Amino acid sequence: MPEAPAVTARMLQLVLACTGLATALRALVAAAGKHELETLLAQLGVPLPLATLPLPPARLTAIQLGSAFCDRLLPEPAALAQLVRSGRERDIAVGLVTPPVDDAALARVARLLDELPAGAEVVANDLGVLRLLARSRPDLVPVAGRLLSRMVKDPRLPSAEWAGLYPAGVDAVPLQRLFDRFGVATQELDVAPFARPESFRVGRRPLAVHAPFGFALTGRSCQIGSLHQPDRAKFAPGHRCRRECLAYVTRMARPPGIGGGDLETFQRGNSMFYRHAPAMARSLALAIERGDVARLVLPGDWHADHRADQPG
Amino acid sequence: MRITAPISRVDEIAPLAAAGADELYCGVVPREWVARHGNAMVSRRIFGNLESLAALEQAVAAAHAAGATLALALNAQHYAAAQLELLHELVAAYAAMGGDAVIVGDAALLGALSDLRGRLRIHVSSLAACRNREAAALYRDLGADRVILPRTVNLAEATALAGALPELEFEAFMLYDGCVFEEGACHTLHLPGQLGGPICLDRYASAVQRVDGRPLTAAEAARLAHNDACREQWLWHRFSCGFNVTPEGDPYGPCGLCALPNLAAGGVTAVKIAGREAPTARKLRSVRLVARVRDRWRDGVGVTALRDYAQGLRDARDLCRCGYMCYYPEVLDDETPVPRAAES
Repeated sequence: MPEAPAVTARMLQLVLACTGLATALRALVAAAGKHELETLLAQLGVPLPLATLPLPPARLTAIQLGSAFCDRLLPEPAALAQLVRSGRERDIAVGLVTPPVDDAALARVARLLDELPAGAEVVANDLGVLRLLARSRPDLVPVAGRLLSRMVKDPRLPSAEWAGLYPAGVDAVPLQRLFDRFGVATQELDVAPFARPESFRVGRRPLAVHAPFGFALTGRSCQIGSLHQPDRAKFAPGHRCRRECLAYVTRMARPPGIGGGDLETFQRGNSMFYRHAPAMARSLALAIERGDVARLVLPGDWHADHRADQPG
Repeated sequence: MRITAPISRVDEIAPLAAAGADELYCGVVPREWVARHGNAMVSRRIFGNLESLAALEQAVAAAHAAGATLALALNAQHYAAAQLELLHELVAAYAAMGGDAVIVGDAALLGALSDLRGRLRIHVSSLAACRNREAAALYRDLGADRVILPRTVNLAEATALAGALPELEFEAFMLYDGCVFEEGACHTLHLPGQLGGPICLDRYASAVQRVDGRPLTAAEAARLAHNDACREQWLWHRFSCGFNVTPEGDPYGPCGLCALPNLAAGGVTAVKIAGREAPTARKLRSVRLVARVRDRWRDGVGVTALRDYAQGLRDARDLCRCGYMCYYPEVLDDETPVPRAAES
């Protein structure tokens, strides 16, 4: 088994974003085992991001724990601490992913920051978390999460012409200045429907792109999370849940007459996602080849293809 | 407690102000914008906007003459770099007209308007989805005077924010236009009806699967089916109870009237009526509904009697009881006395 190559300036970084500690620990062990990259991803049940296209030289450089979408999926401090220790032993960076938060969840994020060593990355999907980081832990490295890169990502978009009507704002100078103000090191991006290779020439900091799924929308009201709630308490802001999203995924499709050209769509928890079409993957591959994308963020477990009984 | 209401035509201003609206808001899609960008993304709504800067100037004057203020909504989810330049011109022109405030949903636009601070009040749109005190403090640091809370806050969160940041004003949703997801984190379009319309109303068939690969048990399938049925009911309520109105013409749909005393006592400055594109008659009736509840609260009516009154206004007690029509359903079970002393 060949050893994973060392990271160089031209090497694509792969980051695995996990919701569950078990997946994250399994990934750490597998990555430290120096498997070939494709073997490693297959072993983890991670769908290949570029479909049939060859991956460029790449290495799994970091494991992230948490959620970009729901604070109920934030790890317990002890779980994050355990992953940090394991990452240190295996020389793989560990980061934290955070979702949009209310004050209660913000306090939990603050507590989680205590478990991270200086230099660890924190993915912020709420401007309030960016401010918290700057105030309380300036030694951590902020990443602007995919929710902060706003663009139209409707899996039903009929054509590239439609997509062109709504240009993204992700490289707007005032937004980049705001990111500068908080020392944002990396900006995350989704691949929008009908994305072109030029779509990834964004901003003035390294770009991290999520693949092979984009998120179309998210919200606080969670259909599957209401499953075990009393009828009147379902869907209300801040409703309780039993983290049913860890057990179920919802496939969604429109009637062929209207939705024949849709991207493959699914809902996980409070969010709707789409799978990249081959043309979108080709645009991404070209952007990677041109050096416009520094890293790919792969979903470790909270996606349509994940099987809880996946062999580890 | 101030009432904020939408307009889409200048002639709506005087009657809405007379009905009790203290603040009005509108969008504008000038012809130059359409010529340059070919679409109507000045604000999130394609319809229901003023059509020229001249109309906007008339609206500012009409609002002031009626004793109200006028805010200009620039609340698309995001803007491209080229659009920001034109928006800056638009807002500068609006400031020169004597406009009162801009409603901004995009952090980039907020930054782009930084040199206009002091000439206009900045209201952070609900599209910014500001739900915590760090984010609110950030917007304050960027020059915001008010944060319009997203639809998805509960009363405790809204009033805690207002208490934590007294230097900022907070505005909360009161009537209509429910959103299924978080509008600031919804990156889809309200497509034309023949293409599916809003994604939350589109004709999706869904199939729930277990991620461990096992088939659903009969009990699981039944529970999921019941949950789906409840969701359908909830959606029906979110969308104005099937887009129905009372015999008098008042629409049903998302409502926070029962919670008005809690919001007032908790330091929330203003309550918002949504629906820029609605007919004038509906806007008028909406303002009157909110004003009746507010005025009774000011006049000393007790909270229990006030909630009973609010629920009787549209003869909607059954609809109210299920909670799905409520912006703040927690008040239905809350009999805690609401103090008046803190009311703004």
